[in-house]
Parts: sequence; structure tokens; C-alpha cells
Amino acid sequence: MTESTTAPMLEVRGLVKRYGGLVAIDQVNLEFRPGTITGVIGPNGAGKSTLIGLIGGAIAPSAGMILLNGRDISRLPASERARAGIGRTYQIPRPFLDMSVAENLEVAQYSLAPFVPASVAREEREALLARTGLADVASLQARALPLLRRKRLEVARALALKPRVVLLDEVGAGLVDSEITELIALIHSLLDSNTAILIVEHVLRVVRECCARCMVLNFGKPLIEGPTAAILSSDQVAAVYLGTGGDRQTIVADTAQDAISTVHVGAPEAEASVLASLTAPVVASAGGVALLQLAGIRAGYGQARVLQGIDLTVETGQAIAILGANGAGKTTLARAITGAISPSAGTLLIGGQDVSGRAPHQIAKLGVAHCMEGRRIFPTLSVEENLRIAARNADAVAVRARLEAVYDLFPILADRRSQGGTAMSGGQQQMLAIGRALMARPKLVIFDEISLGLAPIVMDKLYEALALLKEERMTMIVIEQDVDRALALVDHVYVLEHGRIALSGTPKQIFADPRLRHIYIGAAEDAAPSKGLAHATC
Amino acid sequence: MPDIGIISSTIAAGVLLGGILGLTALGLSIVLGVMRLVNLAHGDFLVVGAYAGLFFLQFSGIDPVLGLPVVALLLGGLSIPLYRFLLAPLADRGAEAQMMTMFAVSIILENIFILVFSADTRSIARDYATYPLTLGPVTVPLIYLIGFAISVTVILVVHWLVSSTAFGRDLRASAADAQAAATLGVDVKRVQMLTFALGAACAGVGGTLIGAAFQFSPSSGGPYLLNSLAVVVLGGLGNVLGALVGGVVLGALQSVGGLTLGDGYRDVVGMALFLLVLAFRPEGFLAQGRT
Amino acid sequence: MNARVGFSIEVAALVIAFFVLWFLPDVTGDYWLQLGFRICIYLTLAHGWNLMAGSAGLVSLGTSCFVGLGAYVAVESLNGFGLPLPLVLVLCGVAGGLLAVLVSPALFRLRGLYFTVGTLALSELLRLLMVNVSTFGGATGLFLQEDPPALPVLFRYALVVAVVASAAITLCARTRVSVIFRAVRDDEDAAAQMGVRPFRVKLGAFVLASALGAAAGGIQAVKLGAIEPYGMFGLQWAIDVLSMVIIGGVGLRLGPLIGALFVVILGELLADYPEAHIAAAGLILIVLIRFAPHGIVGFAAHWLSLKLLKSLKRVPA
Repeated sequence: MTESTTAPMLEVRGLVKRYGGLVAIDQVNLEFRPGTITGVIGPNGAGKSTLIGLIGGAIAPSAGMILLNGRDISRLPASERARAGIGRTYQIPRPFLDMSVAENLEVAQYSLAPFVPASVAREEREALLARTGLADVASLQARALPLLRRKRLEVARALALKPRVVLLDEVGAGLVDSEITELIALIHSLLDSNTAILIVEHVLRVVRECCARCMVLNFGKPLIEGPTAAILSSDQVAAVYLGTGGDRQTIVADTAQDAISTVHVGAPEAEASVLASLTAPVVASAGGVALLQLAGIRAGYGQARVLQGIDLTVETGQAIAILGANGAGKTTLARAITGAISPSAGTLLIGGQDVSGRAPHQIAKLGVAHCMEGRRIFPTLSVEENLRIAARNADAVAVRARLEAVYDLFPILADRRSQGGTAMSGGQQQMLAIGRALMARPKLVIFDEISLGLAPIVMDKLYEALALLKEERMTMIVIEQDVDRALALVDHVYVLEHGRIALSGTPKQIFADPRLRHIYIGAAEDAAPSKGLAHATC
Repeated sequence: MPDIGIISSTIAAGVLLGGILGLTALGLSIVLGVMRLVNLAHGDFLVVGAYAGLFFLQFSGIDPVLGLPVVALLLGGLSIPLYRFLLAPLADRGAEAQMMTMFAVSIILENIFILVFSADTRSIARDYATYPLTLGPVTVPLIYLIGFAISVTVILVVHWLVSSTAFGRDLRASAADAQAAATLGVDVKRVQMLTFALGAACAGVGGTLIGAAFQFSPSSGGPYLLNSLAVVVLGGLGNVLGALVGGVVLGALQSVGGLTLGDGYRDVVGMALFLLVLAFRPEGFLAQGRT
Repeated sequence: MNARVGFSIEVAALVIAFFVLWFLPDVTGDYWLQLGFRICIYLTLAHGWNLMAGSAGLVSLGTSCFVGLGAYVAVESLNGFGLPLPLVLVLCGVAGGLLAVLVSPALFRLRGLYFTVGTLALSELLRLLMVNVSTFGGATGLFLQEDPPALPVLFRYALVVAVVASAAITLCARTRVSVIFRAVRDDEDAAAQMGVRPFRVKLGAFVLASALGAAAGGIQAVKLGAIEPYGMFGLQWAIDVLSMVIIGGVGLRLGPLIGALFVVILGELLADYPEAHIAAAGLILIVLIRFAPHGIVGFAAHWLSLKLLKSLKRVPA
């Protein structure tokens, strides 16, 4: 391990952040030297974004110090830190939507140098836009940009501050392999001898290819730090964060709390009776009418048209997957089915009934449940109330039975039944979201990106639950970015691309289809050939 | 130095009136929580309740206190078309459009009051109401105690409604995340409509009580709106029991202010307190409950 | 490019309008000067409101704080010190700015709706204080000891104030400052991360709007000759300003002008029925909010949809 002899540009000493009783960041020490890229990784809830917020100035520390070139900036507000040379991006891009791309950059330029001549500013802007691949959309409204472009804009805006420290907050999230390749190239181009870059990431490929050193955070505490290659192959790190792949080995008990909240695994007959109260009776409909049918559905948000004519059929008892790159329209499709957005064209049939344009609560009444992207747990309701609210038009006895079934499926929820719905880790909240969807005893459940932001260990548990439900012949639509897990579960697959169904077939067919690889990976070489189609994402 | 009897009676009166303020503020609070709407016509709903109680008495001879359910139904009933035709169509437009619409409704109502009822200050006078109750050094008019008792009862009922019933669950969920609630099957528009009606009913009932205990005029709406806002901020947004506590605190402080600085300063105390609390603790002194 | 052209056009239009209207008293009688005076006052107030809301996201219902302050400062300084009127108006502006600075630490902690409610509470507080504190005349108010200047003179003063207000808006909307304002309006926290100091930006808009409002209040007080708390600190000002900006179109460059014209003319038509006038204003507001949310100007622009018209009218705010 070679030590740099230059002084650290940014130092973090004994940083602590408490939210009431919760310690989000616990004694973190870091040094960033100019000319380096450092990574911070860790499971969901480890405090990675909080760290960025603390360094960038959006969050005030409870204790500890942050030093920029020896100067204590711990009490400086975000605007002063930006002026001092710290640029950060947001995990979910926050461009100024009603301004053009160029104007977004102007904000940084003019706040730093209010009297800079317009021509000089324009030159700098054009150079920046060229560098970040945005030159062709300079006068386009930020609102019209797709996700990858917005992330580029985030980076461009941070660069407009002429920063000496760049903080990148989960820039890889939601991108597919081809886009990640472009992103990695961009990150490399940012590095020069005067700049230090900190990358907080879930997408390990970015960390592997960009960062010389990285640190692992777990529950706000630094677990281990060192050269990236060593870290990523460490068993300890694997246990806590990467999951154990195919085997179910013993997990280090005190570092993987989520694994303790296991899904109930019992005898098959016991399982059947547990889930019976949650799964609507599978009634073969007369005339073989499909449970769900979409014909020529077009939908979007305001000006942006996302779905460009979708035809899709789901039979009772089927499990289908909807895959696709980010921005392909997967969640928009879920929203069109549940009524959260009205289709601008086409028909939506549930059990043969035309329900196009009906309000969400009416479609919910017909037996469609949506385990929403981002979970959407009600923080002001307890865990049990979150569950109960979904069981509508059912008598007290039935509700009680369903509650017991959900608690049986996810015992951790029973332990926390009177606690606030969001006072739990991400994985547990996802369990609550799944349980909530089931409480309606739905005919059709849509599981919308349930693995987003969760560590592989937790995903394993959740998909075990889904497998149990599939055995009960619950009709389900699984929307996923993680191709492997979805393919292993379902009967039929649709792949969306730019708002249309590009591929449709059985998992085997799709897996073997070279076009799938193209949709996800693009022309660039796959960085982890041994894993087949799976991203090296966690 | 005013004697202990006057001081304690004034504070007691303030506390009891504060209970009524709490009831009216409750209406504002739940609407704010569920619809993210500052109902700028809230004070005028209160005045509608006061006029309703007055004319109910005049036409039927029935005591306004007994007529409270009628007032509640009246306000609730009137507010539903208001919601359906004025507010619901603006639901997707952001909070300001609805707030400005209610602002317009407020100025329309005030001027209708002046046109129809004249600008006189009125009061719902009943003989028994002013009967002085004495307990030790404290003497208050009977109506204050009656008003307080009714207010507390209604507040407790609403609290039970919000925290323990299915409707209350739907209400809280709609307040937290309306879109998610709708996807789970909650008819959010209906919840909002009923919440708005409940809020108006609370305002109306409070208005009748205030009309009986105090006095009112067409332009009372503004000051009472601001009083209610002060209570909401003191007690915590969406916190039902907090509205009662906030009301009592405000009432007591207003009485003290009026006693020490002069009667015109009662409202000044209220406003100053409101601004202070807004400035330093906009989320209210009481932690926002899961209500 | 686009902004530069817009800037030049607006400055030119402003200069021309100023010179033309300066000679208005020489060609018309008192009635039109009265109207013109009212329009200038209202225009100033609407510009200030638009600046705060359209540029910094601050929706204010507290216009009367500053109108009232300007009124009382004007009368007291004329009565007490016999200062020349231009100086008095400047003093009013300074007073308005100072009050804004004074209340901003408290007021700016409030976001969104709470800020609006806070401005409302502040104006009520000031009104109640002025009614109860007798040094400023209490409920009866104050009288101007000397006769106010003649109407043509007053009109010209009001015109100057209105032109200054319009110029200020042009500066804020057509120069690089506009980008900073819009950033704060759209996303304060992201703006801070870009090095913008949101507090200062909001304060700037607030101080400017308040100074303009106070100057307008000052000249209004001089014209009235007698002021009292209900009139100068009453909610009427907020109602009128809100009507203007909604009718004209929030954030639109010509919105305040069209709105001011509309409101003043409506007031003239219903001058004998004050309650009906206000109720009618309320009804119009409701209808507009529902069916023409971008006001008359927005509606017209949508209908005409001439590119040039759009670039003239659409403030990037």
C-alpha cells in the first residue's frame, strides 16, 4: 500500500451524526488527497448518503470535524462550502427543471463570479457541456432530459463550481451496463492532480473501476478501509454486504441484522394454510377471460410520453416479469395498470371489464394491489395500521386472519407492529410493503422494483417470499432491474425498451436471446463476463 | 393592584374560552393536515356558525346550545358543494390555487354578511348564559363553562375518530401520502371532502359558542382565523389534542395580556405569540403525534 | 441573446412611457389623473408582489405592512420635519427596507404556506398595534398639517415611483440575476449547493418589494391628507394586490399592468357599491383561478400565440 506524500485536501475527523436515538454516522475518519478517487460502500442504511450530506453541508454534524485544506468548515452552510470548492451531486438528480441546461450551469457560474463577462462565462459553459456530453442539449429544458443526461447535468453543475472536491452520490443507481460504462469514462475524465473525488456507491462495478481505495460503512461505522481490490474480495465484507451468492452460509451474526428477520420457512403444508388467507381464490374464469389485458396503451406525464402502445396479457395464476432499462417505462406501466395515471390511448381490461381511466381506488377494489416503487410506507401510521388500511371491505375476522398470515410470513413485522411504519430498515420496510399489498387479498399483485437499494442478502429473503406466493398460484407482475432473480421466478417475460415491448417470451427464451444483452448492455463489453447477464450490482 | 379574584377569574375565563378556540382551530388543523390547505375562509365559517346560532334562536326559540348539531350539519352541508365545485377541481394545481380560492370565498362571505346582516356587532344573548358561577376566588359566566365542556367533548370525539377508526386511518394516510393511499384503495377525494366538512362543522360549532359567550361582527373572521392559526401552530399541525392545549394556552395568555396591557391588547398578544412561535418552532411546541 | 433583446426593448418602452405620461397632466383633467395615480400605486405594489413570488417563491399577504409603514413615515416626517417630498419618499423606501430586514430572520424560517400566513399575521399585528398605541394617533390616525401638493404634482411623483418599480423588475428579470432568483424559487437547497445564498436572495427581493410598497404608501398618504390604521394597515391592500396579480397573471411581465388597469376600472364601475365591488372581485378571482390560471395576459398569450408576444411577456421568472 503506497502512501501519498501530499497533504490531504479534505479531512474528516471523528464525524458523528445522530437523529434522536439513531446514530446514522458513528466516528468516521477519512482523508482525501488530490488526484485520488475514493469509494465508500456499504449496505442500505449504512449512512453513505448521510456522509455526503455532512461533507457537502446539507446536514449539520452532531460531533466531529471537517477540514478543507486545514480549514475547519464543519459549521459552514452548504453555500459557503460550495464556494470553497466542494461540489456534490444528488443521488436522485435535482436539476432546476424549468431552466435550460445552460441556465442550470449559469446558476453556479454567476453565484461564484457575479461580474464575470458574459463571453467568458459562455466559453466556460460550452467547454463544460462538451466535456460532460451535453453540448447538444444546451438550450433544452432540464425537465425534458432522461435520467442519464440528468446525472451528467448534475456532474456538470458541480464542475461549474470549479471544485477541488467532488462528491458523487450513487451516480450509478438506475443505470444499465452501457450507461455505466459511459459514466465510468466521465468520472475518469474528471480526475486531475488538483481534484479529490469521493464516490458513494451501490454499483460495485463503478467502485472497482474508478476507486483506488475504498471504505466500507456498516450501520454508520467504518468497517474496513484499504485498496479496492482487497476490500471487494474480503470475506468479511462479502458477508456483510455482498451476500453469499448461491449458498446460504452462516452469516456473521452481529453485522447482518437484516438477515435475522428471515422469512418464515416451515413445512410446505403449513405454508399453504398460512398464505391461504392472503391469496384470492384462484377461480378459473368462464370463457378463459384473462385477468389483465392491456391493448394499445399509451401513457405519460404531462408533455413526456412514456408508453408508446403496450399490448400485454396476464392470465390468472401466472407470474410475469417486466424488465427493461431505466426510463423504459416499467413503473409508468405499473401506474397505468393501477390507475395512478390515466392512459391517453388504448384500453385496460381487468377480468374482461374495461376500466380505462378509472380512479386508483376503484381499480384497487377490483383486486389489483401495487407494492409500490420506493415502498411508500405511511410514517404517521404504525406498522399494523399500515397493514390494516389495505384490508378494505373485509370483516374483522378476515382481517385478523390476514394479519396473522403476514406476521407469519415476516415475523419481524409482528415484533414491531405498534411502531411507526418507517422506523425500520429498508429491507424491513420492503417486507411491510409486500405484506401491505397482500392484505387486500388481491387477485393480482404488482411488485415494483422491490430490490432497489437493498443488499443482496435481503433480496434473497424477499424473493423467497415471492417464491412461496408463486407456489400458491398468486397472479403477479414482477418489475425488476435485476434480471437474474426475475427470470428465475416467473413464467413469462416482457422486456420494455423506450416505452414499447421489445421482447416477449419464456425465461429460457429471453435468457438466450442476444437482443436482451443488447438492450441492457449495449455495444460495450460486459465487465463481468462470468456472471452472464447479471450486473455486478448489489 | 387588581385583587386575586379578578386575576384568577380572568385567567379562568381565558382558559375556558381557549377551549372553544381549540375547537375552532381543530377544524383548521385537520384540513391543513389532510389537504395541505390553509383555509383562509375558516374564520368566516366560524362567523357563519355564529349567525346561524343567532337566527336559529330568533326563529325557533330553541337555545343555540341545543341547536349545535343543526349548526354542525348546516356548515358540513354547505361546505360539501364548496369542496366539490371550488376546491376539488383545483386539486392537481398545488396548494396556492386552493388557498387563494378560499381567500376569495372569505372576502365574498364577509361582504355578504355586511349586505345581509349589516355591519353591527352582535351577540347571542341568553339570560342563563351570564349566570355567574363561583368557585373560590374564581367567577365566570356559566356559558363559558358550558362552551368549554362542549368543546372538550367534541375534541375528544374527533380524537377518537382520527386515531381509532378506519376513517381516521384513511385520513392520516391521505395526509401522509395521498397517491399511495389512493393506490391502496382509499377514496382520497371523499376523505378530503369529509375532512373539509368536519373542519367546517367544528368551525361553525365553535362560532356559535363564541357568539354566545362573546360577540361577533362580519369582520370577525380575520382575527379568528389568525387566532386559530396561532393555536394550530402552538399545538402542532394535525395534532387533535394539541389543538385543545394550544387553545387553552392562547386563551390564558390573551387574558393575561388584556389584563396587564389593556383590553385592546388581547389580540396583539395573540398575534405576537403566533409570530414568535412561527419564528422559532413552526412545527409547534408539542411534538406532532401520530394523529 | 433573447434576454438581451428583451432587456433593450423593455428599457426603451419604459423610457418612452415615462416621457409620454409625464405630460399627461397637461392634456387631461383631474378624473384621469386620479385614475392614473391609482394605477401607478397599484402597479408598484403588484410589481413588488410579483418580484417576491415569481422570483423568490415568496407569496405574501402582508402588503399592508409596508404600505401602512410608508404612510405613517411620510405623514410624520412631513409634519414633524417639513422635509421635501422627494426626500420623504426615499425615507419611506428606506423605512420599508429596514422593516423587511428586521422581520426577515423570523419570517424566512417559514417555508411555503407558513410564510404566507406569517405575512398575514404580521400585518394584523401592526394594525392592532397602531390602533392601540396613541403616539401615532391610535384609531383616529394622523392628519397632514400642510395641504398636500396639487394633483398633477402628485401624479408625477406616483409615476416616478411606478417607473422605478418597473425598472427594478426589468433589472431582476432580464439580467443574469434572474437565474439566481429562479434557482432559489425552484429548489432552495440545490441552489445552496451551487453556491447561492438563498437567504440573501430572498432578502433582496423582500427588501426591494417592501421599499417600493412603502414608497407607494407614502405618496398615497400625502394624497389622502389623513390616514388611520384600518385604511393603511387593512387587509384591503392584500386583497387588491392579489386580485391584480391573479387577474393579470402571476410572474408574467405585463401581468401587473393589465391587472392594475382591470382592478382600477372595476373599482370605478362599482364605485357606489363597495361591498358588491369586493364580492365581485372575489367571484372574478375564483373564476380566474379555475379557468385562467395564468391570468388575462396568460390567456391572451395562449390565444394569440405569437412568438414575439410570448418572448416579450414571458418573464423567465
